[in-house]
Formats: sequence, structure tokens, C-alpha cells
Amino acid sequence: MSAEKRLMGLFKEPDQVIDTLEALKSSPWSVVRVHGPIPNHKIADALNLPKSKVGYFTLAGGIIGFFTGFLFAAYTSVQWDLIVSGKPIVALVPFFIVGFEFTILFSVIGNVIGLINVGGLPDWGGLVEYDPRCSGEHYGITAACDPVGETALRQFFQDRGAQVATLETSSQPA
Amino acid sequence: MSDLTFAQVDQTVLDTLKPPGKSYWALIALLFCGVLLGAGCWIYQIFVGVGVAGMNNPVAWGTYLINFVFWVGIAHSGTLISAILHLFRAGWRNPIARAAETMTVFAVCTAGLFPFIHLGRAWMVYYMLPFPNQRNLWPNFQSPLMFDVVAISTYLTVSSLFWYTGMLPDLAIVRDNASGFRKKIFTVLSMGWTGRFEQWRHYTRGYLFFAALATPLVISVHSVVSWDFALAVVPGWHTTIFAPYFVAGAIHSGLAMVLTLMIPLRKIFNTQQIISMHVLESVAKTIVFTGLIVGFAYATEFFIAWYSHNPLEQYIFQWRPTGDYAVGFWIMAICNTVVPLFLLVKKIRTSIAALFVISILINIGMWYERFVIIITSVARDFIPHAWGYFAPSPIEYGIMIGSFSLFFFLFCLFIKHMPSISMTEVKEMLE
Repeated sequence: MSAEKRLMGLFKEPDQVIDTLEALKSSPWSVVRVHGPIPNHKIADALNLPKSKVGYFTLAGGIIGFFTGFLFAAYTSVQWDLIVSGKPIVALVPFFIVGFEFTILFSVIGNVIGLINVGGLPDWGGLVEYDPRCSGEHYGITAACDPVGETALRQFFQDRGAQVATLETSSQPA
Repeated sequence: MSDLTFAQVDQTVLDTLKPPGKSYWALIALLFCGVLLGAGCWIYQIFVGVGVAGMNNPVAWGTYLINFVFWVGIAHSGTLISAILHLFRAGWRNPIARAAETMTVFAVCTAGLFPFIHLGRAWMVYYMLPFPNQRNLWPNFQSPLMFDVVAISTYLTVSSLFWYTGMLPDLAIVRDNASGFRKKIFTVLSMGWTGRFEQWRHYTRGYLFFAALATPLVISVHSVVSWDFALAVVPGWHTTIFAPYFVAGAIHSGLAMVLTLMIPLRKIFNTQQIISMHVLESVAKTIVFTGLIVGFAYATEFFIAWYSHNPLEQYIFQWRPTGDYAVGFWIMAICNTVVPLFLLVKKIRTSIAALFVISILINIGMWYERFVIIITSVARDFIPHAWGYFAPSPIEYGIMIGSFSLFFFLFCLFIKHMPSISMTEVKEMLE
């Protein structure tokens, strides 16, 4: 792996990226990653990315939140069994409101944990193989090749209208 | 707008982060003086006691609660624009979403100070937290005031996380165009965001969930605030219409504040191409809609008072437009329901000066709405010999000036140091 070379082809148009990704499938080179300034469903489809699992964290947070909020309010109430305004000690309607707010709070916290966990943030290592133009107006396809194939890969990108950047190879897995 | 390139969008927004001139720092210094005035008044109140405010018996809720409800209301349109309009795929919200979210976060922070101020003995605030006393007696979760603590804390947490998460791709753009120490700061803040499609895949999903969760939250928060009043058996408060009425009013005032902030912002930063007339016009049209809902709510209150045959309700609704606070009532009624109707005229809603003046009038009207609701009902409730009159004291005015200064101080600091327009979302509009 240490001899592997990585080049990034920088494109301005999403359609160029999709065409290049299709062409790379039948080439000897492998796609390492694709960067873009904005999300694009067509590119995501071309990469065959599976559906994100962030929602499971959000759902788990929501379920935990509702029961935490409701049961917490009920627990505090049964500590003294003090009847207020003629309502039951464990009053369903007001405690449901507490449960609802906790549902939202914990869902959002679960969502953030999901983003950090499955989204791999923070990702300081990702900055090693990165070109700053990708946050501006370019989409970047990083492809790996063996050293002898570097010129051919460079030509491949240029033929499709890309600017080409040679990347420093990081030690982290692709 | 559609002729802009991605690079032009980035450059326009990055230009807003260039080192500011003397006039900016002069404004910041002026606002800071306002903050100091408010802080000084609060410190004075802490030393002397809450009696220095104009609150009395029976008007125990004065401008502190008015300002609390006002700022919570201002906070609402940020979430409307960033979450609800995101779910509806309203493209015009993209250029103003960041500033509106920022407004939300700072408005909730400002609102959150008022329960502390209103307490008088601010160090007793832990009585409002879910924490038992020595006898294991907990706060009463059946009280709407406890709903409020939970709702506002949740809203502050959620809106802050939503705001920061939405900024990640833009922070990466600033990082990629910065150098030196600034680059290091933005590298940390952007958490190593590189716009990999693997990251976008999770980000877009997570952002959608944020929007979907923030939408019911924003409706629940101002509903809960309205229940602080509606669950009390006070004439003028005890009504089921309060929750939707408060939510509509909150969005009405928040949208007006968005215009008040966006109009100078686009001029000063020369971002008219991004925050276009179409965007401002769309906000204006939404204000007409929310203004009609608010007007309908005002009319319904009067109708129900008449229809109920409840003499106490009927008295309070006769007294509001004709009694001691009639001026406040008519400012409220005209500014919130009549003035927005001028925006139906295209010539007016496409005039920057007219939009700015109307937005400020609505802000004033919405402040008075909270004044009328909170003060009039307790000033004249059930027993005539217990009626009272409330006028804010100089200390309350000082704290109010301080709260407005604090909000604008934080907002002005933000717009010069962080991207106040979402570059990523504007680019998505262009795509």
C-alpha cells in the first residue's frame, strides 16, 4: 500500500463527476472518496452509498427521552404524594408535556451522537488528503493507482475536463 | 441571484469577515455601554431588592415578563425559517436562514435572563431546577412554570445545536480561505469537515431530523409560554386560543425582526445579490399571513368575551381598548393587524424604506401585545378594591435597554466574525 499513488480530479460540474465515476468502474483504478461543496443526490447514487443510520440514534434518543421525562416527573411527584389542584399524583396530561420536551431534547442529542459516531466527526485525518478547492466550487474525486499508472490516471482525469491534484497519502485506511 | 457562481457566493460572504472599520467598533462600544447600563441596573436591583421595579400588588408580572415573552417570540421565526421552511423546501429562506438561526440563539439567551432578573434574588434560581430540597420535595411538574423551564432549556439546547451543525460546511469554507491563527481556529470549529459524500450522506439526514424535531418543538415552546397565562383563572388569560395565538404572534414578531436585521445587513455588507428583493418580499408576504392570524385571534378574544356572557371577561375586554392602557392596546391593534396589510401593495413591499419602517412598527406592536396581555388582566381582575396600576420604573427601562443592547451586541459580533449567510445553502439554491 505504501507505493500507492492518489490523485484528485477536480470538476466544476456534477454531471462530469457522475460520468467519471461511471468510467472509473470499468478502469483499473479505485475510487477512494468524493468531495463536494454541496450535497448531490445523483453523485450519492452513483457512489451507491447506503442509507445513513443516523436516524436510529435519533429514534433511540426520542424513546429514551420520552420515558425519562415522563418517569422523572412521576418519580418527583410520588416523593411526597402532594395533591395539587385536585389532579392525580401521577397526572398524565402535564407529565406528557414534560415527556414530550424530553423526547425532542434526547432525540436531538441522539441525532448529534449519530452524526459524530457514524459521520466520523471530528475527522482531522481527512484533511491530509484534501484539496481546499473542494469547499469552494469544485467536486473532487480521489482515485488510487499504482505508481506506474499515475500518468494514465492523470490523463484520464484531464480528458474529462478535470484539474488534477497529487495528494499526500495518509496512513489511515481509505 | 441565479447568475452568481459558487466562487462569487463564497467571496461575497467571506468579504463580510474582513477586519472591520472604526464605525463597527464604535457601534460595538455603544451597544456594550447599553449592556453595562442594563447590568448596572440589575446589580442595583440585586442589592436594593426587587421593589425598585414598578411591580406591585396586584401587578406582580411587569416588564421582565413582557420582555421574556417578547424575546422568546423573536426567537421563533429563526426556527420557522431554518426548520419549517426547510421542510417545505422554500428556497427563498436559504440566504436568511443563518442570520435567523443566530437571531434565535441570541434571543433565547436574552429571554433566559429575565426569569433570573424577575426573581429578584437571582441566586435562588435553583428552586426552578429539578432539584429536591432538604425534605425531598421536588418542584411541581404539574405547573406550567416548570413546563416553561423544561421547554426553554430544550429550545436553547436544540436551537444552538441546530445552528452549529448547520454552520459546519461554512466553517470549513472559511478555514480553507484563511491563514495563520485564524485558520487554526476554524480548523477546530469545522471539526475536520471535508465535504466527503460519506459526510454529506449523514449530514443531510441528520439536518432533516433536526428540522423535523425543531418544528414541533417551536410550536410547543410558545404554547407552553402561553400556558403560563392560560392555565391561570384570570380574566383575559384563561382561554384555549392562547397557544395558537401566541405561536402566530411569535412568528409575526420574529419575521419583523428578521426584516429589521436583514435590511441594514444586506446594505452594509453589500449582499443585495444574495439577500435579494425577492427574499425580503417573501418575508413580507409571510408577515401579511401571520398578521391576519394575529388579527383573527384578537377578534376571537373579543367575540368569546361577548359570547361567553361572563361579566369579568366582558369587563376586561371593554377596559382594554378604553381604560388606562388604551394607548398600548391601540398601538398593538394597529401595528400588528392594520400596518402589515400595507404589505399587500407590491409597491410598498418592494420598497426597502417602507419594509424597514413597517418591520419596526410591528416589533413595537408586538412588544405592546405582551404588555396588554400581561398587565391589563392582573391590574383589573376579580375584586375592584384590589385593582392596581403599573408603570415601569427607570430600573426596568434600564434593564430593557440592556436586553436590546445585549441582543444587538451579540448579533453584531457574530456577523463580523462568523459566516452570517449560509454559503452552502445559497449554492444549493443555485444548483
